[in-house]
Amino acid sequence: MSLLTVSAVTKQFGPHIGVSSVSFELDAGESAVIVGANGAGKTTLIRMLASLSRPTEGEILLDGEPVIGNANARSRIGVVGHDTMLYDELTARENLKLHARLHGVPESRSEQLLETVGLATRGSDRVDGFSHGMQKRVSLARALLHDPDLLLFDEPYSGLDQASLQRITEVLSALEDKTVIATTHDLERGYHLADSVLFFYRGQLVEQAPTTEFDDVTDLIERYDENCRLGDGQTTPGVSPTGTTPTTVTTDGNRPIDGGEN
Amino acid sequence: MPGRYFRAVYEIARKDLIVETRSKQTINAAFVFAFLIIVVFSFVFGERVEDRDILARGALWLAVVFGGAVGLSHAVALEGQNEAIEGLLLAPVDRSAIYLGKVISAAILIGFISLLSLFFVAVFLGYAFDGNSLLLVALVVPLVAIGFSAVGVLLSMLMLHSPLQESLLPVLLIPLVIPVILSGTALTQVDIATGNAFEWLQILLVYDLLVLVVGWMTFEYVVEE
Repeated sequence: MSLLTVSAVTKQFGPHIGVSSVSFELDAGESAVIVGANGAGKTTLIRMLASLSRPTEGEILLDGEPVIGNANARSRIGVVGHDTMLYDELTARENLKLHARLHGVPESRSEQLLETVGLATRGSDRVDGFSHGMQKRVSLARALLHDPDLLLFDEPYSGLDQASLQRITEVLSALEDKTVIATTHDLERGYHLADSVLFFYRGQLVEQAPTTEFDDVTDLIERYDENCRLGDGQTTPGVSPTGTTPTTVTTDGNRPIDGGEN
Repeated sequence: MPGRYFRAVYEIARKDLIVETRSKQTINAAFVFAFLIIVVFSFVFGERVEDRDILARGALWLAVVFGGAVGLSHAVALEGQNEAIEGLLLAPVDRSAIYLGKVISAAILIGFISLLSLFFVAVFLGYAFDGNSLLLVALVVPLVAIGFSAVGVLLSMLMLHSPLQESLLPVLLIPLVIPVILSGTALTQVDIATGNAFEWLQILLVYDLLVLVVGWMTFEYVVEE
């Protein structure tokens, strides 16, 4: 049985459809990246998987158990969102200890994770004095505290300095036994992180493809252009209006596709 | 698992109080508000109103209601910073634990604001306590604080992401806490009869229980998208 089963999930905000009849499955230890332009429904889907938002229709199951409204399922899910979910007035250690106690895990786990994210020496500092990258690392530690089976990341690489980017990439790469779903605009990092890619366009899952299908990241970018832009004239940073000629592609293929939020 | 549930309630209330002792946002805002109301009352009516009891009670409850509304708004706004509330919503406990934790911390803060206001009323308006009225006040303040917080936390959470939260909260909150205000005003009469006091206490208790149960049952749907 799959660890995560998403069946015909739809989310409607009044007349606007955020996510439309999305279905896919992921096995334990499998990782997937969700790609798509801004407004494609990536964040909406992640929020439903995290049980922060209730689907209008459809079902999300974790090991056969519904995720929505189920505290047991929440104990198996870790989430790093756009926002850090931290209290500015508390120190990094206090933030982690609060969540450790709420999850019923030993407080010593906070120390271990501060070490993992490279902030052991800054544990006693308030998080409002941290850079965005450091706050994101604390947020990552918070998500890993209870050793979840399913990890959800919404734009894990956005707005990070080099040190934080490197540390977060290392930590994510080490999560081989976990089921990981990440939304990203960084196709190169996504390509290296995931076993499969879910292409989203206007709330719909248009294709789920294993990364082995792509020879390299350029191949993935081409597929992205085919799936997620569909010739509607939508332009994104680094790509010409035709959607085929990149104007600012870096030499390592690390092209920013979209810059902002979903 | 009731143990984990009550632990979560405690942790959330404790966290709120630690954050408040560091930021002092709620207390500072409410303190200034309550102080100003009582001082203005003292200057404007002090010499002209003979019945100091009526004047003092008016000023006291005005200070508590508006100071409390300002305080509540700040106390809940901290959950909007960095979407910290979502971290709590991801915890594997029934989400009503978050509600109860926040009601407890808000009630402690409002209780503190009420005591401060009482002190100012005694100093500036000469509100005179005897042994009985002091006992009644000691009973009324926590009950008022609980009723006020139980409604206020629910409403503030509903409006957490509204840019109009600070201005809308008092408008929506005050009509809903009228039973609390009336009971508080009646129960702080210096010469209230025992029978009357008991009736008002009953109203206050029933109201508190009712709003707590409603909040406890509906919180999950209030915070869910």
